[in-house]
Amino acid sequence: MIAKIVCYALQGLEGVPVEVETDAAKGIPGYEMVGLPDAAVKESKERVRSAIKNSGLLFPLGKITVNFAPADIKKEGAAFDLAVAVSLLKASEQLVGARTDDTVFLGELALDGSVRPIAGLLPILISAKGHGYTRFVVPAGNAKEAAYLGGADIFPVRSLAETVAFLTGREDISPVPAQNFVPRLHAAQGADLKYVKGQPVARRALEIAVAGGHNLLLVGPPGTGKTMLARCLPTVMPDLSFSEALEITKIHSVAGTLGEEGIVSDRPFRTPHHTATTVAMCGGGNRIVRPGEISLAHGGVLFLDELPEYKRSTLEALRQPLEDGKITVSRAGGTFTFPARFMLCASMNPCPCGNYGAADKVCTCSPAEIRRYRRKISGPLLDRIDLQVEVDNVPYEALTSDEKQESSAEVRERVNVARSIQNVRFEGSGMRTNAEMGERELSAYCRLSAEGEKILKEAFERMKLSARARSRILKVSRTIADLAASEEIAPAHVYEAVSYRLGDSLE
Amino acid sequence: MNARRAGRLLVYLAACAQADERTRLDIAHACSYGLDEKELQKICAALIQTAAKGVYKNGTLSAEEAAEAYLARLEGMGWYAVTLADDDYPEALRAIPDAPCALFCAGRRELLARRKFCIVGSRLLPSWAQATGKAIAEELTARFAVVTGIAEGGDRAVIDGALSSGELICVLPCGPDVDYPAAHASLKKAIAKRGLLISEYPLGMRAQKFSFHARNRILAGLSEGVLVLAAGEKSGTLITADRALAYGREVFALPHNAGAAQGVGCNALIQQGAFLCTDAGDIFSAFGMQRPARAAAQLTEGEARMLAILREAGEEHAAALAAKAGIPVWEAQAALSSLEMKGLAARAGGNRFAAVGSSE
Repeated sequence: MIAKIVCYALQGLEGVPVEVETDAAKGIPGYEMVGLPDAAVKESKERVRSAIKNSGLLFPLGKITVNFAPADIKKEGAAFDLAVAVSLLKASEQLVGARTDDTVFLGELALDGSVRPIAGLLPILISAKGHGYTRFVVPAGNAKEAAYLGGADIFPVRSLAETVAFLTGREDISPVPAQNFVPRLHAAQGADLKYVKGQPVARRALEIAVAGGHNLLLVGPPGTGKTMLARCLPTVMPDLSFSEALEITKIHSVAGTLGEEGIVSDRPFRTPHHTATTVAMCGGGNRIVRPGEISLAHGGVLFLDELPEYKRSTLEALRQPLEDGKITVSRAGGTFTFPARFMLCASMNPCPCGNYGAADKVCTCSPAEIRRYRRKISGPLLDRIDLQVEVDNVPYEALTSDEKQESSAEVRERVNVARSIQNVRFEGSGMRTNAEMGERELSAYCRLSAEGEKILKEAFERMKLSARARSRILKVSRTIADLAASEEIAPAHVYEAVSYRLGDSLE
Repeated sequence: MNARRAGRLLVYLAACAQADERTRLDIAHACSYGLDEKELQKICAALIQTAAKGVYKNGTLSAEEAAEAYLARLEGMGWYAVTLADDDYPEALRAIPDAPCALFCAGRRELLARRKFCIVGSRLLPSWAQATGKAIAEELTARFAVVTGIAEGGDRAVIDGALSSGELICVLPCGPDVDYPAAHASLKKAIAKRGLLISEYPLGMRAQKFSFHARNRILAGLSEGVLVLAAGEKSGTLITADRALAYGREVFALPHNAGAAQGVGCNALIQQGAFLCTDAGDIFSAFGMQRPARAAAQLTEGEARMLAILREAGEEHAAALAAKAGIPVWEAQAALSSLEMKGLAARAGGNRFAAVGSSE
């Protein structure tokens, strides 16, 4: 008898249906797998055999052929185990009358028959639901993640025996109740702007950056709190919406970095070390193409501490995703696109010794050294960082003062107001923030008065700005105007935006 | 010996860098004060002797032919020579005791005849001094050709201020074809195009410690006065000031904060009697000149108030300025950014701003 069971394979962030066909025929005992399975899938042969035996079931004798269709996709990982086992049992007529046709089976088997959780479950469920499947059997360990799908019957199973009992009607499993999404409160993480002493300029820049989704560069002497400021970024960002959370969860699920909770409920804050390779940053891999740090930071913050220490090629690879909000990784096995709409926050010292420009310390670097240090960051990359601010060396009295600083919650309120203005502006266009505006939107929403135009022209000539830097200044001006709830971009807004182009005035 | 012949020999000497001081002084003397028959014979003997060395070295070429070939080579690179024998060799420079026998130049030759004023500053200097230097250089071009070096920092600020008008002379511490500093290679081309480059050294000579010192004497020698933007305790710019004093030129210096390491030299100069200079007006008045009328910067009410506060404070953090003005930091940032663009304020690092120039 031939049995067909539906399972799913992952291609990038998308699930692709795979039919597991098993034929158990009379003949010389044998057990064959065809249809482009990779090593981990082929090994499922042995896992499935042991799991069936140890679950008190019968492993069929005779000639067994397992086929994965379509045959042209490379199947990877152990997520097919459960489907193979179920189809084997069905082919050997141990599941008579069970409802398996419209059910998707996902899960890895242990030798004792228990079902282990798999990576990338949520993206598979979302794709499968899109394909019309509404009945799933999933590992109990993935139940929390699966609960966020909603609108489908999802049955969590702990073991193969339980699965069989459920399918044959001997045992009842209640489907996972649909879970409502609640964004997590950021205060729990410990970072909060109220713990940042002083830094009025950097605080303001941070607020603008978050309000308009702009990239941020913090320049300052070592030990002045650049990292602490950066850690506060997610705390002032607006709460995740469910669709955003799903999008982020899909990426983290595929990468296997999803936590206990089953969904990413707060904005990611990724801090790859400066030894990170281009592949680690952008995604890739030998056979299994995994999302890189920039995709894991999707919807959140990518923080690059000590920017000049990163490999040049790695930094340059960021340029295109910074513009497009996604990264396309091409490998022999296929081309995969991962979303990568992150906010870039970088930090650096003003010079190798760190004291350049400090009021009370002497910089020991020669101009050539300073230039060499800054040259490590290319102009095109710097162009894409809209806000470049200096971080102050806070005096001792300010550090120990009890003066109350504004908390993240207060700042977030203003950010939310500015974001809601943007939401109205970009309604239906797929954009969320000012930073994402293209040329067309710029001319529509960033009209300058004659005076504002004059200022921009002067800045353009004096600071030898590129056309891109010019449009970035316009976007920041727009955000500043939004924060001031002003329809018009006033000259003062342009001036302020220009004052955050520190990098251009440095060189 | 006619002037042309003397000129060629001088080029030869400069190119070979073989002239001993005695010979050079003799020639300078002869060229400056007319040719005395006896003197001339002596000089010619010396020249022939020196040239003979070259003949041995170069095979068959005579000193004059070698000089011609050298000039042709220079010309191919867009350079020409101005020697003590030329009429337009700058008089002020001719008058110093160790005037170079030939100046290799590229660019506008007519600048040699202008009134000249020198501005120098150390390579590392506070940004306000940089901005002030730039503003002064820009304004001085109305009356002077501005003379400076080609290093980063102070020299660069002067170049930035004066280059657009073309009234700029840069004296190199190295041979005409050597790019020093390497980062200013394209800047050097721009100066040769719009202003004037001068070097006393032969082709291919790299900048060396002594050549900076020697170059500084030309800076001072060319000019009627020298302004020092910033100088540490042992800064090389002090050599320029020292030469200027020795040659009887006026010395000016920007005043710095007490204890600022980058300004110790300037303050010491003022102590010793140098003119205290805060803007171009001080220089014009010292030479008895009328300051050219300038278009007053258009300031909004807020900007004017911020400027007044900034001038009172001298140098201050943006947040402190905002507190004094009673406005939020970002409004202060906008106002300061506007003042910076109008050349009235400069970033001093760490979100600090400094006033540039003095109030009227």
